[in-house]
Amino acid sequence: MSAVIEAVELRKRFGARGKLVEAVRGVSFEVEQGEIFGFLGPNGAGKTTTLRMLTTLLTIDSGSARVAGIDVAAAPARVRERIGYVSQLGGADNEATGRENLVLQGRLYGGERAAVRQRVAELLPLLDLEGFAERQVKTYSGGQKRRLDVALGIVHEPQVLFLDEPTTGLDPQNRANLWQHVRTLRERGVTVFLTTHYLEEADALCERVMIIDGGEIVAEGSPRELKRDIVGDSVVLRVAEEDSARAAAVLGSAAFVRSTASAEDGELRCYVDDGPAALPELLRRLDGERIALRSISLSEPTLDDVFLAKTGHSLRDAEAS
Amino acid sequence: MKLLTDIRLLTWRRTLQLLRNPVWLIVSLMAPLLYLALFTPLLKDIPVAPGLGGNVLDEFLPGILALMAFTSGSTAGFSILFELQAGIVERFRVTPASRLALLLGPLVSGTLSMLAFDLVLIGVGVAFGFHVHVLGLLVLAVLLSLFYLMFAAFSTAVALATKEISGFAAVVNGINLPLMLLAGILLPISLGPAWMGLLAHFNPLYYLVQASRTLALDHFSGGTLWQAFAVLTPLCALSLAGATRVYRRAVA
Repeated sequence: MSAVIEAVELRKRFGARGKLVEAVRGVSFEVEQGEIFGFLGPNGAGKTTTLRMLTTLLTIDSGSARVAGIDVAAAPARVRERIGYVSQLGGADNEATGRENLVLQGRLYGGERAAVRQRVAELLPLLDLEGFAERQVKTYSGGQKRRLDVALGIVHEPQVLFLDEPTTGLDPQNRANLWQHVRTLRERGVTVFLTTHYLEEADALCERVMIIDGGEIVAEGSPRELKRDIVGDSVVLRVAEEDSARAAAVLGSAAFVRSTASAEDGELRCYVDDGPAALPELLRRLDGERIALRSISLSEPTLDDVFLAKTGHSLRDAEAS
Repeated sequence: MKLLTDIRLLTWRRTLQLLRNPVWLIVSLMAPLLYLALFTPLLKDIPVAPGLGGNVLDEFLPGILALMAFTSGSTAGFSILFELQAGIVERFRVTPASRLALLLGPLVSGTLSMLAFDLVLIGVGVAFGFHVHVLGLLVLAVLLSLFYLMFAAFSTAVALATKEISGFAAVVNGINLPLMLLAGILLPISLGPAWMGLLAHFNPLYYLVQASRTLALDHFSGGTLWQAFAVLTPLCALSLAGATRVYRRAVA
């Protein structure tokens, strides 16, 4: 396996009215050939900024990046030939038909007319676009338009496909459908680098995930590794609001509890290595302190637990704020 | 050559867009036609430019053609703003297509549609007594295209730099009115005081209007024609180079 994307200490600052904001603060990572790599984090965490530096849309302040073996800062034009990029907006031309969009895109990438037509004819069935290729894009549904956007990103058979929040705004059915298409691309040898703020997406689709928060990488690994190594199982229990601080103290001091995190309205999460084994002892301790339980449940860890454990706040909360 | 192919592809894309929206054709022709219908009659008894004689349309229609190059040039940025917000500009910027081609595609298409409108207007003018001088009009077409390219490139650069409609409109509207008033489109600037004539010499549109009047009469002698080329050619090159640079850097 060889690295298709190598980023070393990437940094990006934006100046707004004399105030400098460091959007990306020294991000380093590698993406291997043929994997689906997910970049997970809340909005404003620096995902899109990083992606835009890798795709030649933004200059790199410091650090370096190589994509498909080529230095992004030194030879942006050669990087462009080898990558596909689908932005959050997509960017298909609404007035043109799906086929016209695809043919133009292929031609701008330097393809000969006949070769591009041939390639488009292959792509349409691959992304289920055949039925409406001759219709103007403005008549497309959200899911259809998104599949066209992805098709536009791969007309020229790039080595790496960058997808920025590919399923934002799609309903669950269309989301699952797009995931399937992304997996098909991977099977055909395309490396996929995607950003997302959906935990389920990173979990279901990505072989490797990198979590970013506040412009810095906080964790990296396969979703399974991350969940196993970082958090173990979690026990979610709910007590009366006035008892929650006491409960956190009691359980936090127990040796088998790795860490606890309290949310509002008396909800408490305890991370333990082995949930079923820890449960009786946990209940015994609460009972000893005469803390009454309102509910208790044992859950397998999620990437949100990883995020919470690593950053001290929940991804869902970060989204809401 | 890749550059020429890219320009051709992007010109055709924009032209196809325009042809699919016939409403736009009518809207674009409305203003110049209204000027012809509702302004020229006012000039009937005013000695516009004594010495040239001829009928009012011969005086006024060339100015309208210059006005069209001006307004269609200044509004060229609107479609780029729209495509910026739709992510189309960004999608093109990630392709290896030349930045100059990305800029020129829509501008070449805009030049062609402007010239088509000019033909329609001249046709309407002929029906009301405008005298056609073919050679003069052909040279005028070159000048009008130069001016359009210069101003549309400027408008595109402003759109890419401001990125949103309010900033863009503020800049463009702020520039448009003084340029138009100081160009002598509706009435010759020579009717005004000397300081106005002096200020007009800093206005590229003034040179176009002056040249358009003499060319429409097939007068090739005199300084106005060469002045117009001498002013507009370098300005056009400068504007295209500047806008290409902005395209290279623009971040949506």
